[in-house]
Amino acid sequence: MSRLKKLAAIFLALTMVFSFSFALTGCGEEEEGSGVLNIYMWSDYMSDDFVAGFEEETGVKVNISYMNSSEEATAKLTAGGGDEYDLVMPCDADMTGLIEGGYLEEINLDNITNFEYLDDAYKNREFDPENKYAIPYLMNYVYVVYNPETCPVEITGYEDLLSPELEGEIASVDGIRNLFPMALVALGYDPNSTKDSEIEEAYEWLKDYMKNVKYLNSDDAEKELISSGCSVGFIFDGMFTRVLPEDDTWEVAALEDPIQLGVDEFVIPAGAKNKENAEAFLNYMLDPENMAANMKDGHEYTCPNSAAVELMPDSYKKSKAFDLPGDLRENYFLQLDVGDAMKTYDKYYTMLKSE
Amino acid sequence: MAAKIKKRRKRLKIGGTLFAFLVYAFIYTPIAVMVVFSFNDQRINYYWKGFTFKWYEKLFTDSDLLSYLWLSLFIAVLATVISVIIGTIGALGLMRFEFMLKKVVNTSLYIPVVIPEVVMGLSLLMLYESVNMPLGVTAILLAHVTFCIPFVVIIMRGRLAGMDKSVEEASMDLGANRLTTFFKITLPMLIPGIMSSAFMSFTLSIDDVIISNFVSGPTSTTLPVKILSMVKVGLTPDINALATIMVMVLLLGIILNSVFQALMKKRASINIKTYF
Amino acid sequence: MNEKNGITVKDKKSWFRRNGPVLSTTGPISVWMLVFVLIPMLYIIFISFMTRDVYGGIVYDFTLDNYKEIIQPLYLKVIWKSLKLAFITTVICLLLGYPLAYYIAGKPSKTAAKLIMLVMIPYWTNSLVRLYSVNLLGATNGPINNILMDIGLISEPLDMLYSDGIVVIGLLTAMLPFSVLPLYASIEKLDKSLLEASRDLGARPHITFLKVTIPLTMPGIVGCVLLVFIPSLGMYYVPEALGGGKVMLIGSLVRNQFLVTKNWPFGASLAILLVLMTLAMVWIYTRVSKMDDLEVF
Repeated sequence: MSRLKKLAAIFLALTMVFSFSFALTGCGEEEEGSGVLNIYMWSDYMSDDFVAGFEEETGVKVNISYMNSSEEATAKLTAGGGDEYDLVMPCDADMTGLIEGGYLEEINLDNITNFEYLDDAYKNREFDPENKYAIPYLMNYVYVVYNPETCPVEITGYEDLLSPELEGEIASVDGIRNLFPMALVALGYDPNSTKDSEIEEAYEWLKDYMKNVKYLNSDDAEKELISSGCSVGFIFDGMFTRVLPEDDTWEVAALEDPIQLGVDEFVIPAGAKNKENAEAFLNYMLDPENMAANMKDGHEYTCPNSAAVELMPDSYKKSKAFDLPGDLRENYFLQLDVGDAMKTYDKYYTMLKSE
Repeated sequence: MAAKIKKRRKRLKIGGTLFAFLVYAFIYTPIAVMVVFSFNDQRINYYWKGFTFKWYEKLFTDSDLLSYLWLSLFIAVLATVISVIIGTIGALGLMRFEFMLKKVVNTSLYIPVVIPEVVMGLSLLMLYESVNMPLGVTAILLAHVTFCIPFVVIIMRGRLAGMDKSVEEASMDLGANRLTTFFKITLPMLIPGIMSSAFMSFTLSIDDVIISNFVSGPTSTTLPVKILSMVKVGLTPDINALATIMVMVLLLGIILNSVFQALMKKRASINIKTYF
Repeated sequence: MNEKNGITVKDKKSWFRRNGPVLSTTGPISVWMLVFVLIPMLYIIFISFMTRDVYGGIVYDFTLDNYKEIIQPLYLKVIWKSLKLAFITTVICLLLGYPLAYYIAGKPSKTAAKLIMLVMIPYWTNSLVRLYSVNLLGATNGPINNILMDIGLISEPLDMLYSDGIVVIGLLTAMLPFSVLPLYASIEKLDKSLLEASRDLGARPHITFLKVTIPLTMPGIVGCVLLVFIPSLGMYYVPEALGGGKVMLIGSLVRNQFLVTKNWPFGASLAILLVLMTLAMVWIYTRVSKMDDLEVF
């Protein structure tokens, strides 16, 4: 009995201590209201000072919570959790589904006077011709990088990645919509193809590619480049910015093929409780000076706001990760919704991984 | 003959200790790596670069990690208490009584164990949304209790199976009522099971990430959810530092407890009966 | 089963007095399971018969296609591979966990509690951090390779990562405590006098172990198998990080259907299949090991 009492007492005491500490620090759920802005986005993707600057300017309290992938954020929106947030960050590939499903609130551009600073290429896009739903934050290219000292072949197109000399030499991002578009481009097809026969050909192409791939991961493929386990990488530019400080011999391959560009969009989910605050935040974000300060504070990524890029130091503008060889920067394609073809892609992707 | 058995027993004992030591070594190898790399002078842990204390400094001066840890602990303790109580009593009831929905309940107990976490996370999220429950600490707590209960029941059943019921019956025959019998007889017999299931629930809850991820709200990020989201930009060594401190505090607690008990025993030779 | 305590006592007692014990013990757990497991589950079953629309939403059109789709060599292969890895993990967990639990159970209760704590402590840190530590350990320029190269055992770094073997090791490091706990709970109550009786009757130690110890601790073994086999079947983070991204297991497949392909109906039917399959295995398993007490159904 005494043991039992002791156990119970310990539990009770612990529970009480925790409850108290939470009541005191107010860490529980906070009340919704005018002075709040709830953002759901990638972790470590925005400067704390940048957010603090917005809080100071407007008096709005910003709560940021973190997602693990764009798909997850999209699933959370589709399951009905959107009204908890005021700004969510899916990537452009998920936009069509979100818009068609009615999961988004229209953005009132009248409240976003800084919209003009956004580069024209990112206005009036295919999935959002009237700029009603999405404002780009930052972006990422997926390109090929190589170590000139160890890479045995010259890489000018995706086809070169199939060279038998590269067996076990490639670290690559994963994902249906990163791998298949590359194969489709290499085969001369539309990267967003919906034709079964083309997808099948792309699968055959990727089967050869997989023979050369040592490590496939969209989170940390770059670790194999840093540990010199691989001499070629098919990676995001954000990953490359992590490689360069460790080893700056790496170069971006001057491809003749177009490369993929992914855009991280800010959207206002349907039912958002603080829409005005969200719009104020978007306006604050599009201000070139604010955005430049944000990037300078350790968040260097490809930016759709040329005015902000102008304000950046040379170390950013001339960085190998962003100053791409040739016309690679303009020679890009986007991920578009492929509708029902997604099922076909998924099947071939599963096949690819269960060889 | 007896000497032979004695010798053999001794061999077995040494073998057992050695085996246990090896299993512990296996469990603690990743922990050792984690501790070493908490002192690594690199922004993200790729390889060993040099020694530094700066991650510990960062942890205490410039980091939100501690507040996420408190939230995780809070949820884990509450989830453990609730699920152990419901699960233990439920396991007893399910074992002793027949009722209409018993088969349904029994089967549904296995579902949280069996079902892929993504499916459970999304279906709970949809359940919450259908009754307009705000996402946040309560939502996470309810989800954690849901997946802890089955584990408690499974462990408690292992303990209850074949347990001698005659003692309880004797107690009732002697005039004790059901409640007294439960507290005086049944519960004490269940203590090791309760301990195991409490450990299990706490472990499951404090480390849960996929389900928490779906049901967490704007102001309720738990430590694992934060860490999972950091995977994309690289896990910084301050996370190792935090985990190192957690492990060290617990290990130190055990060691101090042992030393303290040994001293007490020596002095007063009082045997404090405790499970901690 | 134990009719004397429950329903069949039909004397003059009021309804509540008759049903009180049943309600108060099984009531909370039943309600909880109904609300938080059964209702969501019914919805998952429901959408498993629906169709994906063009943009990844759900169209409420009844169809059996999702289930027909699964019966393809492709998906069966994925399921088979997952079963295989989970099985290997479970067997190794038992082989490591049982002796350890036995060893711990032989200690005085205070020491035992501490030893159990020692097993659990690493698992209160984060599983991702542990996973990344395993990864760091085996990396091309990780500690193992560096040491081996320094002492001259190898000249080229070994490729230790990205194989089924390392996936199993990853699963083991994630699952081991879940085997030790149920085993300990069950071995601890083992009546030592029975073992002595067996020995006194002249049984050799391994016979005693096989004929007395194992049967008596069967509930713990069943618990261990349930708690290790089933979760390792659905895990996807470990296989993806340690398998080099080239292994597709059922956990990843289901995740992809819900998140990437946005084909919820197909994902739901895969999940249902997984549930049915595991429940069937648990059922057979408990029958074979004569653990009807555990009452799966």
